[in-house]
Amino acid sequence: MNLASYRKKSPWILHYNAGGCNGCDIEILACLSPKYDIERFGMINTGNPKQSDILLVTGPVTKRSRERLVEIYAQMPEPKVVIACGACASTGGVFRGMYNCEGGIDQYIPVDVYVCGCGTRPEQIIDGVVQALGILETKTKELEESVRLKKETVKEGKQINRRNIADQVKPAMI
Amino acid sequence: MNNLWIPIILIILAPLLGGLVYGFERIIKARMQRRIGPPLLQPFYDFLKLADKRKMIVHSAHAFLGIMHFVSLWFALAVLLLGSDLILVIFLHLLSTALLILAAYSTRSIFSHLGANRIAISILAYEPVLIIIAVSIFMLTGSFDATAAFQSEQPLLYKMPLAFIALLLVLPIKLKKSPFDVAEAHQELTGGVELEFSGIFYEAVYTAKWLDYVFCYTLVYLFAGNNILLGAGLIIFTFFYLNALDNSTARVSYKQMLRFSLTVSFSLAFINLLINSLT
Repeated sequence: MNLASYRKKSPWILHYNAGGCNGCDIEILACLSPKYDIERFGMINTGNPKQSDILLVTGPVTKRSRERLVEIYAQMPEPKVVIACGACASTGGVFRGMYNCEGGIDQYIPVDVYVCGCGTRPEQIIDGVVQALGILETKTKELEESVRLKKETVKEGKQINRRNIADQVKPAMI
Repeated sequence: MNNLWIPIILIILAPLLGGLVYGFERIIKARMQRRIGPPLLQPFYDFLKLADKRKMIVHSAHAFLGIMHFVSLWFALAVLLLGSDLILVIFLHLLSTALLILAAYSTRSIFSHLGANRIAISILAYEPVLIIIAVSIFMLTGSFDATAAFQSEQPLLYKMPLAFIALLLVLPIKLKKSPFDVAEAHQELTGGVELEFSGIFYEAVYTAKWLDYVFCYTLVYLFAGNNILLGAGLIIFTFFYLNALDNSTARVSYKQMLRFSLTVSFSLAFINLLINSLT
């Protein structure tokens, strides 16, 4: 039995605001409302990374929120897809180049679908999620496994010793 | 011999039946909010999807307790459907909930602990009422066996309507429905006890919820005696009542829930018990 086809039918969404202005978040919540009703595709807005499939991120990544973003991404079990929702999350938007922000979430985690707009429209979000479902179906568990952890052990000669680097750097600093 | 087959088939099909009830409930809830809602088989799609996710566990005891929660709940349901002792059934159900609480306490997640605390409080709210109802059934039929209630000529509803109202007031606590859904509280606790389960181990907890539906509707059916039509009517009424209540009320705090349950529901059941024992 091919279970991968059922991923499309029950995508559970995790929504994370990485320091945005809440404009996109309101539009995401509008998707749940009777007018757009994304539950008809079987989507649920869960708050729990351990049970969700799609990570919907809004906002430019502020320096305070980037650790949490990576933490949440790591807690989601594979297969998973990431959607950058809105101009800020895709590129940094109007906050690009500011001292407290990073330019978009793809500097920290791999992104599958970019949804444009400031703020995004509910129709665009739904379209982005539906496109993400196509990607979710093709993903395999092996694709996202850490190569260095599982498949290939780190070879002795290639290992970088931090003390060696420190020894080289120290004289230069003085 | 013919009578034994119906409960056995029901027991085997219980998760399937509960899943259908849950799927139908999601549609009804969506229609009440003027939405289209997910397809009827949505819970099974969720089930099949979760089977394919990567397995992440906190530690093996946590996952084991989650599965044992499902198994013991199915066992409690089997004991109830086979018509055994009602007090035994209630305590078996308590055991299954206790296993889930233990699982939640065994992790280090603070949300999981909060959920476990709240489930323990909700047990405190509904358990006394259920036991009083079981004692009332004993007073009427002269036996704690569920068979006596299933086979009684006159439906128990006519003799103990107050107990039925008390049951209707505690069922939302048991099924974690608004206004008494502090134990689950998807917006503040994101699931509470089920928070740390994932993948195929979450399935055990997710399917146990379906079994809980069958368990609760069987408790409702007890009030109909051997009148199958009345039983079906009661179940349908309870179904719509629960969904309408879930859609139209906001969550109350656990203190309000406990106070309401122990003053209103408990006294209703107790007055009913007094009337039954006096007449």
